[in-house]
Amino acid sequence: MVETINLYKDYKVGKVLFPALRGVSVKIEAAEFTAIAGPSGSGKTTLLNIIGCLDVPTKGDVLINGTNTNKLSSKEKATLRKNEIGFVFQTFNLIPVLTAYENVEIPLILLDMTQDKKRENIISILEEVGLGEYINRRPNEMSGGQQQRVAIARALVKNPSMVLADEPTANLDSTTAKEILGLMKELNEKHKTTFIFSTHDQLVMDYAQRIIRLRDGKVVADKTKKSEGPGDSS
Amino acid sequence: MTAVKLAWRNVFRHTRRTVITAAAISVGLSAMILMNSMMNGVDKLASQNIIDYETSHLEIFADGYYREEGVFPLDTIIDNPGLILKKIEQISNVKSVAPRVKFQASISNGIDELPVIGVGVDIKKEKEVFKIVNSVVKGSFLQHEGDVLIGKDLSRDMDLDIGSYLTIITKDRNGTYNAFDLTVSGIINTGHPLFDRNAALISIEQAQELLAIFDGVTELSVRVRDDRNLVRTKERLVQAVGKEYEVYTWRELNAAIFEISGFKRMAQFMIALVVVIIAAVGIINTMLMAVMERIPEIGTLKAMGFNNQGIVKMFVYEGGIIGIFGSLLGCLIGLLLSLYLVHFGIDMSAMFGNADIVYPMKFIIVGEIDYWTVLSVFLFGVFVSVFVTLWPVRKATRLQPVDALRHV
Repeated sequence: MVETINLYKDYKVGKVLFPALRGVSVKIEAAEFTAIAGPSGSGKTTLLNIIGCLDVPTKGDVLINGTNTNKLSSKEKATLRKNEIGFVFQTFNLIPVLTAYENVEIPLILLDMTQDKKRENIISILEEVGLGEYINRRPNEMSGGQQQRVAIARALVKNPSMVLADEPTANLDSTTAKEILGLMKELNEKHKTTFIFSTHDQLVMDYAQRIIRLRDGKVVADKTKKSEGPGDSS
Repeated sequence: MTAVKLAWRNVFRHTRRTVITAAAISVGLSAMILMNSMMNGVDKLASQNIIDYETSHLEIFADGYYREEGVFPLDTIIDNPGLILKKIEQISNVKSVAPRVKFQASISNGIDELPVIGVGVDIKKEKEVFKIVNSVVKGSFLQHEGDVLIGKDLSRDMDLDIGSYLTIITKDRNGTYNAFDLTVSGIINTGHPLFDRNAALISIEQAQELLAIFDGVTELSVRVRDDRNLVRTKERLVQAVGKEYEVYTWRELNAAIFEISGFKRMAQFMIALVVVIIAAVGIINTMLMAVMERIPEIGTLKAMGFNNQGIVKMFVYEGGIIGIFGSLLGCLIGLLLSLYLVHFGIDMSAMFGNADIVYPMKFIIVGEIDYWTVLSVFLFGVFVSVFVTLWPVRKATRLQPVDALRHV
């Protein structure tokens, strides 16, 4: 359902051309729970951003459900993101003036849905992420883990076909990180939503069903586990 | 949660900044409204003074007189007003007609001599057309020949009081000097500088005798019942009196004053506009900050599928909300200040003293509120606020979502 074909991405830093991706071709099927692993600077974030239509590749194509995103206008990309893709960021990126409920509501502003249905979806997803009692808290009244749960609820509330999470646990302690990963895994199994997340943390990788390793902008390993389970460290 | 509600929350994210910006707009707008009220008040008072004391609604001269009005030409006067008086009075909208004889003269109290404008008035008719009779503050209106009415400023300058004698001197129609001794019967305070400072009113018969013009008058002043359609009344008058006479409305007679007024309005409006522009720069600054510090947020919204249009809309709402606040506040302050002007006025005479002014009024400014102006000023304020928001937001939305997210 997501396929990248020979992706290249160069960044210009001053006058120096920095290659972030150098020919990445991967195929990720629906409902997979995939980690993109690698040290910092290996191109994980760039790959996620390009898949999510937040950035454009220098060369190569991305197919999402068969649609080549290179051929879409910025408005069409916005529509694709609106309907198909949920994002979870390392820094949570909640809107500070809004409560948990209202933050989760934002993606639904754009969708054609009755108020009752919206309310039902928001409450149910916030309960699923374990924040049923915190719906009226603002971000600054919540812990990092709780904020990331809001962000996950926000990504999932519109029932997208995939969720892209860039280093979702990098700003969390290891216990909270485990909880968040557990939650993501649970939601992946329950909703059959594709999860693609980037990480450089071994602990987080262990949760993944499939690990795509990047180094210097190239895929160096692509491993699918037969049996999966938390805490199964190697 | 709608885009408007989101904008509302963001407006109050920095309450102090919002309040300062709104206050800047309101200062500009209230200045515009106050100036407008002042100018309206000045114009209304000036118009009222002109109508009540100087020309009434319409004036009729003999053909050719008005072109040389400045020198009071006695050879082009209405020699026999009786010929047309009846015709004028028959026009339905005409309330009454009063003849006047205006002439250049000087008055002397035996020590000093001052140039004045002599005004011969028909004691009976004058009361039906002008309001000078109501402005007598001391003594009484003209009773009989030999009485003279002077303004309170002139009485002070010449040291004259009720019962004082003065001599009025002028050249008659034949160019011969002529003079009469008169007794001050009353002192008037009209608010019109011409009458308070520079005029001597005597009976029309005495003026005619002084100038040797027999039954002649320099002008016929017409007061109408309904002043909303003066031009039509003027046309009917022109038809009635024929080509040997000229008819003018009070506005035409005072075109120069209204030209000055228009110019002053323009100048004052420009000043107010500058204030508004400064306020607009304030809004730009606020919105620029609001946009810049929220670029990562714009990136987040884009990631969630908002398109540029949706984001621009949100910030425009923010600018609009600030604009509505500031404009409401500005209109309220402007109205309150204007209401103070309407009810109490400002006495500017201390500032201007006895300066020689062309404006036919004293410097007590009484406001006059034009609610349409208030409404348009309000809309203007909101429009400016929204308009200046567009620029920083458009700039911000041009970034790729990923660059916006990464922006610090």
